[in-house]
Amino acid sequence: MLISIKWLNDYVDIEITPEELADKLTMAGFEVEAINRTSPGFSGVVVAKILSVKPHPNADKLSLCEISTGDQTFPVVCGAKNIKPGDIVPLAKVGATIPGGYTIKLSKLRGEPSEGMLCSEEELGIGDDNTGIMMLPEDLKLGEDLSIALDLEETVLDVAVTPNRPDCLSMIGMAREIGAITGKKIRYPEVVFSETEEDIEKITSVKILDPDLCPRYTARIIKNVEIKSSPAWMRMRLESIGLRAINNIVDVTNFVMMEYGQPLHAFDYRFLEEGRIVVRGTGEGEEFVSLDEKTRTLKASTLMVCDGVKPVAVAGIMGGLNSEVKDDTQTVLIESAYFNPSSIHKSSRYLGMNTDAAFRFERGIDPEGVTLALNRAAQLMSDLSGGSVCKGFIDQFPGKIETVKDVLLRPDNASKILGVNIDSAKIETIFDSLEMSFKKNADGTYTITPPAFRMDISEEADLVEEIARLYGYDNIPASFPVLYPDPDAKNKKGSMENGIRSVLNGCGYSEVINYTFTTPESVDILGIDKKNDYRKFIKIRNPLTEDTSVLRTNLLYGLLETMKRNINAGNHNLKIFEMGKVFIATEDGKLPVEKATIGGLVTGLRYENSWHFGGLQSDFYDLKGCLETLFDAMRIDNIKFASGVDLPFLHPGKSCTVTAADKCVGFLGEIHPEVLDKMDMKNGAILFELDLEILSGMFSGEISSRNISKFPSTSRDVAFVVDMETQSETILNLALDEEKELLEDIYIFDVYTGSGIPEGMKSLAVKFIYRSHDKTLMDDEVNEVHDRIVEKIAKGTGATIRGRDTSGGEK
Amino acid sequence: MKESLEKLREQAGKEIDAAINKEEFLAIRTRYLGRKGFLTELLRRLKDVSPEERPVVGSLSNEIKKSLSEKIDRALEQIGTEKRYEALKKERLDVTLPGRHVKYGKLHPVTRVLNEICEIFAELGFSTVEGPEVELEYYNFEALNIPEDHPARDEQDTFYITDNIVLRTHTSPVQVRVMEKQKPPVRILSPGKVYRPDSDVSHTPMFHQVEGLLVDKKITFGDLKGTLTFFLRRFFGKDTELRFRPSFFPFTEPSAEVDIKCVMCGGSGCRVCGHSGWIEILGSGMVDPRVFEEVGYDSEEITGFAFGLGVERIAMLKYGISDIRLFFENDRRFLEQF
Repeated sequence: MLISIKWLNDYVDIEITPEELADKLTMAGFEVEAINRTSPGFSGVVVAKILSVKPHPNADKLSLCEISTGDQTFPVVCGAKNIKPGDIVPLAKVGATIPGGYTIKLSKLRGEPSEGMLCSEEELGIGDDNTGIMMLPEDLKLGEDLSIALDLEETVLDVAVTPNRPDCLSMIGMAREIGAITGKKIRYPEVVFSETEEDIEKITSVKILDPDLCPRYTARIIKNVEIKSSPAWMRMRLESIGLRAINNIVDVTNFVMMEYGQPLHAFDYRFLEEGRIVVRGTGEGEEFVSLDEKTRTLKASTLMVCDGVKPVAVAGIMGGLNSEVKDDTQTVLIESAYFNPSSIHKSSRYLGMNTDAAFRFERGIDPEGVTLALNRAAQLMSDLSGGSVCKGFIDQFPGKIETVKDVLLRPDNASKILGVNIDSAKIETIFDSLEMSFKKNADGTYTITPPAFRMDISEEADLVEEIARLYGYDNIPASFPVLYPDPDAKNKKGSMENGIRSVLNGCGYSEVINYTFTTPESVDILGIDKKNDYRKFIKIRNPLTEDTSVLRTNLLYGLLETMKRNINAGNHNLKIFEMGKVFIATEDGKLPVEKATIGGLVTGLRYENSWHFGGLQSDFYDLKGCLETLFDAMRIDNIKFASGVDLPFLHPGKSCTVTAADKCVGFLGEIHPEVLDKMDMKNGAILFELDLEILSGMFSGEISSRNISKFPSTSRDVAFVVDMETQSETILNLALDEEKELLEDIYIFDVYTGSGIPEGMKSLAVKFIYRSHDKTLMDDEVNEVHDRIVEKIAKGTGATIRGRDTSGGEK
Repeated sequence: MKESLEKLREQAGKEIDAAINKEEFLAIRTRYLGRKGFLTELLRRLKDVSPEERPVVGSLSNEIKKSLSEKIDRALEQIGTEKRYEALKKERLDVTLPGRHVKYGKLHPVTRVLNEICEIFAELGFSTVEGPEVELEYYNFEALNIPEDHPARDEQDTFYITDNIVLRTHTSPVQVRVMEKQKPPVRILSPGKVYRPDSDVSHTPMFHQVEGLLVDKKITFGDLKGTLTFFLRRFFGKDTELRFRPSFFPFTEPSAEVDIKCVMCGGSGCRVCGHSGWIEILGSGMVDPRVFEEVGYDSEEITGFAFGLGVERIAMLKYGISDIRLFFENDRRFLEQF
């Protein structure tokens, strides 16, 4: 909220600089987000009086004026028509600057000298009126600088008022706070005005059909108003805080709203059919044209202020075009009401009308301020428009408004919470400054009665906060709690997730974080069939866009989109992974299953910019190797990669499932070219996705060791020629099943097809390593075991032996 | 005899000095020390020497043999070394060519900052707890003293799945879930993703928060100040200036917003701090007794403080990132910097 220091000075003496004030407010809970100084956009403009106006001899539209600044007289040529001798006007003297970067020069207009320029409001940038020269009040001192004479320099603070303090959405509210902070007394406006004999009851009536939504409605009638623009002081006040001055009636409603925080509305009485007010809900789909000339379609039971026949305002939000105050308005009905906060909130939200009035009503206004503001408005309207206030006011109060209650404060409890002892004298000073009345009880506690506008005070903690706030957070010493070490504490750094991140980083994979939102189309692009869990979306009722309207059921689509974005940005080589949750809907109205998941993707070159391995593309085995490293690091064995994965988005021949201890934990494979086509991508990619929850169940940080043999090992190499379809793992498994004692290790060290190998076959070169725990193995002993194993493999796979090397010695 | 020996030593010494390659040295060795060498020849005449002189000549000849032999060995060794040196001189690598390194993968900046925060609190014994991202309205709002018509519950501030299921707007529901299950003391940190329907240079509809909660007997507002001061100085540097100012959150009272002196301008005012010299870092406060009552704690007995901060915001400050959307675009050129 914008607050003008000059305006605040009407209610409280501010004797500190704006910077000091801003700091004090901020440290008392009213964060000052900006200090704006508005100085008029002109200089060298003074108050002057027109002595004479004569026609220009050579131009019909111009006149020659003599202008006095008290001690000097200047000839000025002027084109305006609204001037006459005796008028007090702004004179921009030679050398003056006015907005737009103009400098006034000595000149001759059609042969007549002109030493200066008379200005309109618009030319000075202090108003919208461009119809003629600005007329100044007669009591201004001639020759005085205009910005001083009109008191135009302003310092305005932009204050963030927290939602619990609607009482501070006004100048008086802020003045009260400043008074409490700086120890100054508040001056409330003196509201005095005279009423006519004519009783308001004879002119109008108010009927409230929905007392829950409108507990109280008060009104006054002012007759014989003359609509004109408000005096400069009023316009300046409003303009200083960013409100546009309109006319003397509307300006008063805005001024009083800003002064007291009570939104008001002024109706032109002649447009109120049957001359009365009815407050009621509206029917669904009704249309209403608000003051801003927009047609609003209303929802059922939106609270409306109506006359005897039709709606004339959206209650508490905006008046209607049909009853607005016009230039010829004579009789005004002022509304000052209390509307139900949540009703206003709902209406203003669905209508998209976050007006100053709605903002205050939905946060809750001062229940006792309703009539105060009504009377203040009557006083000002009467003063400014010459209107006469009819006798009495309507006060319909059929509903209930929650009011403040007494709250108990135990000073020792305050000390316990704050960690500092604040003596009772200080506490009492604080309550005094906040206009809270209190009674000290025999046991040292206080019974506090908050002022009516402090609806936020309802429990002891609220009072403790007030004490802390005004005592000063800075004055409460920092301490440190006693924290006993907790042997059961779980810390993030030591977690499995971070372990996995390190391993994958080491493999060259960078972490990404994609949005949890995705498009429902993602599953169509991936070709997911109807029954798959991937289609069990959690749908957001109010998504930002259709593309982000469901929660992801997998990570891979997000990884593919990230890949696409990168390739479009020219990053063709990518190794990425993501750890996050996927969401599978269960029953309607139940929370979904949230599964911690890890996914990864590789595309482009295996080694970038490498002179060693230039041009090698990443393939299936790169990502598989990375997973193997990961499982190795996590100490999860029993991992199997098996072909025959049935996922439509993977290449059928270059993909596999991943199982851990016979549980399927995910998949790995090359992306199906059809998915790439649908996503309009050319570069292939390999990706994986694993269920992190199952894996974490298998992950254990525990380590157990075994003895290592003191004796040397012996190795044998054999090249088996097998059918292309034979999986290499079969050979290794046959060997490991056959010999459990002496076969220490076995691995494939070469895969060969081509010359010398029949079509449809491949040669797998296998290294066997033998070692005993008890002795150095003799060749004969090794050969016996080895021959047995090779025969077993040959039988089991139909392999022929292409070559063998038995010379393997000590390893 | 003695003279002959000395003469032989002198002669051999000259020849050794003059020799230049391995072959010559080996020839000298054979010529003088070999089975048919000069020294052997000479010693054959030992029988002509008087018995008294014999031991002297014997030991002299041994000494000559030893010294010549050592001299030749040394020379040969030196030739070997020089030769290898010559050979190695020809084997040269361009050591400025890059090695076969695996380009190290990077942590996402959000993870990096989250880890750093969690580590600092881990030192104080805070456990890390996670909770659901799709959350019951009850935990996200009601249990945290956020009433039904509170603006935060509007559709424009909260993503709704159904009337009573939302995407959590903060990680505070985790605190309630923990307190429901666990008796005090409670010392937890809850990091994670949160969601709000906002999208511009400084807002993304998904972002990360860390919230902390410390509940026990005798926890004070002073403790809140002390603990968060420790954290912020540990994170931003030990001389970081900070201020606690009153604020409002529905689930804490008193509440405090914590600002640090602007890391960009040092407090003189700049674009980053909105010319105020201060940057808002975290929200905190003493847990409102109503929240304790909601989870069945005795609010007369127990006090506690809670705090929360936005991870992206901190990462933006720490790494000088100007657009929050970069975090989730995952452009490689961005990710590689962390």
